[in-house]
Amino acid sequence: MNGTPRGFNRFMLVLLGLVLMVLGAALVALAAVPPFARWWQDWAGRQVLQLGGLAAQTRMGSGAGSWIWLIVAAALLVVVIVMVSWIANQGKGRTNVLFDRTGSADDDGAAGRVVLSCAVAEQALKSALVERSDLLSASVTSYDFRGEPCVRVRVLPRQGVAPHQVAGDVGALVEAMDALLGVEVPVLVSIGSGARVRFTKAERVR
Amino acid sequence: MSEPTARILKRETHSSRAPLSVIAAIVMSLLAVYGLLETMLRALGQPPWLIDPPDAVRRISELPAGTTPVLLGVAGVLFLLLGVILLANGLLPGRRARHVITDNRVAVVVDDEVIAAALARRARLAAGVTREQVMVVVSARTVQVNVRPTSGIWLDESQIQAAVEAELAAMALDPTPTVKVNLANTGVIGV
Repeated sequence: MNGTPRGFNRFMLVLLGLVLMVLGAALVALAAVPPFARWWQDWAGRQVLQLGGLAAQTRMGSGAGSWIWLIVAAALLVVVIVMVSWIANQGKGRTNVLFDRTGSADDDGAAGRVVLSCAVAEQALKSALVERSDLLSASVTSYDFRGEPCVRVRVLPRQGVAPHQVAGDVGALVEAMDALLGVEVPVLVSIGSGARVRFTKAERVR
Repeated sequence: MSEPTARILKRETHSSRAPLSVIAAIVMSLLAVYGLLETMLRALGQPPWLIDPPDAVRRISELPAGTTPVLLGVAGVLFLLLGVILLANGLLPGRRARHVITDNRVAVVVDDEVIAAALARRARLAAGVTREQVMVVVSARTVQVNVRPTSGIWLDESQIQAAVEAELAAMALDPTPTVKVNLANTGVIGV
């Protein structure tokens, strides 16, 4: 539910996969099929000659190289920027405003603005969950999901705890919070297990 | 179920492909930075660091010459395999080992491991055996309960099955798995 660009991830992986497959197939063909290798040397040799001619025409004064290299460098710089922004977009999308409304004359006439921080929901849910003995840990974070704030509750129950009971209890807590705050935001409850759960005792008595 | 909840659940039950994307992006940017270094050295008329770009292009254009065919073929197969891995990661749905619990207020996803632990506990109580004698494997559509009975004590398979099915019905999972109970032929002693 975070802002990871999933479609773009898949598009880029497909693109890189296809490029690598074509490259690999071409290398195998060069090694194994002599007619293809002859055609490649013939075709690529002509391209290299053309490139050499182009480089000679575009020389920047004596001693320096061709300005073609500056264009290539700029293109590579663009690639680096795209890659860095691709990495930076993974897992982003945290927010800290749960609810924001400005009072208006046709509402109740009160001037001013009400802003609820996400910390309200996070701390209320977290403090209710950490005192349970059947949960090893609970964390609550808020994300901006398509312009709308969403709360994500991650709980790690001890081994053997029935997940539907945990889900029902968290659901009841969320309904109580809805009644308290007067706003309903989408809530995701993720019940998981981690290394910490696996190496501790199972819940025997509930 | 509201529309944002359905979208959130779809995202939570499918992989985001973020780790592989980060690896691919790092490799790509390292290659691009190296290319940038060599082209800038060339543009400024400095000697190359590892290989001069025109020299590299010329060598690639003469390719089967200059290397052994075996090396070239192995490199090609390696690239082909990497490409297939990336392509498969891009195209396959990438379901995560999670189930959805239907609830009318909150969206709930559960790791299969948690479901397995809860069902193992239920099966253990129904069979009256120790924790080590029960193993539960949960996949998207099936739940396999393997029980090793204590030597000399008869176990009722249908009773275990009913107990596990009752627990699963209480969980109201989506997709709903079917239960299969396997009693081992050999028992354990000294538990």
